[in-house]
Amino acid sequence: MLKCESMNLFYGEVQALWDVNLEVKEGEIVALLGANAAGKSTTINAISGLEKLSSGKILFEGTEIQKKDPHEIVEMGIVQVPEGRKLFSYMTIEENLELGAYSKRARANFKQNLETVFELFPILKERRKQLAGSMSGGQQQMCAVARGLMGNPKFLMIDELSLGLAPLVVKQLFEVLTQISKRGITILLVEQNVKQSLAIANSAFVLKNGRLALSGKASEVANDPTLHQAYLGK
Amino acid sequence: MRGLLSKKSIFLFILLIAAFALPNFLKNKFYMNIVIMVIFYAALSGSWNILAGYAGQLSLGHSIFFGLGAYTSTLLLVKMGVSPWLGIIAALIMSMAVGALIGYPAFRLKGPFFTLATLAFSEVIRYIASFWKELTNGAMGINIPFKPGLATMMFRTKEPYYFIALGMLLLIILITFFIDRSKMGSYFIAIRENEDAAEVLGIPITRYKMYSMLISSGLAALTGVFYAQYILFIEPEAVFNINFSSQIALMSIIGGMGTIFGPIVGAVLLVPLNEIMRSAFSSLNGLNFFIYGIVLIIVVSWMPNGILPTITNQVKKRGLKVSTDRKGAGKIDTAN
Repeated sequence: MLKCESMNLFYGEVQALWDVNLEVKEGEIVALLGANAAGKSTTINAISGLEKLSSGKILFEGTEIQKKDPHEIVEMGIVQVPEGRKLFSYMTIEENLELGAYSKRARANFKQNLETVFELFPILKERRKQLAGSMSGGQQQMCAVARGLMGNPKFLMIDELSLGLAPLVVKQLFEVLTQISKRGITILLVEQNVKQSLAIANSAFVLKNGRLALSGKASEVANDPTLHQAYLGK
Repeated sequence: MRGLLSKKSIFLFILLIAAFALPNFLKNKFYMNIVIMVIFYAALSGSWNILAGYAGQLSLGHSIFFGLGAYTSTLLLVKMGVSPWLGIIAALIMSMAVGALIGYPAFRLKGPFFTLATLAFSEVIRYIASFWKELTNGAMGINIPFKPGLATMMFRTKEPYYFIALGMLLLIILITFFIDRSKMGSYFIAIRENEDAAEVLGIPITRYKMYSMLISSGLAALTGVFYAQYILFIEPEAVFNINFSSQIALMSIIGGMGTIFGPIVGAVLLVPLNEIMRSAFSSLNGLNFFIYGIVLIIVVSWMPNGILPTITNQVKKRGLKVSTDRKGAGKIDTAN
């Protein structure tokens, strides 16, 4: 479904990605792991079109997307749930969800998607008139994921789902992810929470200092010593 | 939901009738002039509010669009005898074209580039207007010969100006109202609140910034045409002035950015204050700016969202004692 070929990306003089190759197959949950500043967020921002590659290709369903604008990429069905949730805190849950449905493909399925989202997160339905900024961290993260789903994605990228959340909430969110996956949405999960991500993922990629350090099936990656090195160094 | 007969709409309706009836009661020319200037500033600041208050693109050179509007219609009138009513169209096109020219490169960049670009452009245009003497008569400015009549948009009394200004303000309020209630408005606000988030949701942010720019610069040009016809004299130092630009911005900031009536509240407060200061302390040149500064500091310290949002929040708090479990709703940005 998604194929990244030797991606190189610079922030000014600093090279953030070095020849990174990724492949995500349809229907999978793929974990993108690595320590801070390994290039995880940069990778998904490049896929979203927020950062431009200096060389390399990103193919989505066979089409090159590395030169497209972010809104064109969303229109193709790639949606990102950004790190730190980035909700519109002065707006209600409902308004946030509506804003998630900008693209044509999303508007066509608006009602259906809203139902799905409320089914996955009943609490959001209950509090849909409440300001997003007034909710707890976990509920805000649910709202962010829900807002992403309102974009009717084929491919959903989630940046730091578990960031700053209580373990119980994280567990709930991960359960919802598997449900989302069952609905046929491919997921790329950027995470610090290695154990839980690998438990639900089919395959995983590990980045280290902007380079791909390890990739393979989730179960294999979990037992590979390179994974520990990627986080803790040698 | 909001009924048509809610307290707020009745209040606004009464206000509107009062506005139309006002010239029957107010015969003093000095006060009439202040009222017209209040309406004019509210309209101009309202145009700024669409770009900066709603879409979050802080323009500190809004006099560019205002001044271009004034110069375009005036030059057409003085040099070619074109009626200012037709001049409005040319003024709109001119301002929107320059707005697009500034926005096209600057909206692609994040950070303060747009604000800096508006500042720089307003200086450039001021210089052009000052030195292109063949066209603009340079720093001497242009005197518009007084030929009263509806076609020339010049009148002996203040009343017609009052109604033109009022119509202009109503148009701007109406446009702002529709933006506020429309999808476009929520895209503007999304861009203002969090540009990156808006972008990953698939909102074409450059396009929407451009829409806000075109609407805002067009409306500013409209107020420029009115100003030229009312004052009958324009000069680069007056219409392309950075102080003037910051006054436009200040009225909305103090009244309440990103609200429909904020610019009006700001203008109602600041314009009379300015006029009174100017006539009361005419020997102390610059005192009005000093007072401006103090008002700004007071408002920013105690009402960072502006006067109008602060008042509405207070009213809501009193009216809705039993609110759901909101944690300081709308005050502090806890989501990010």
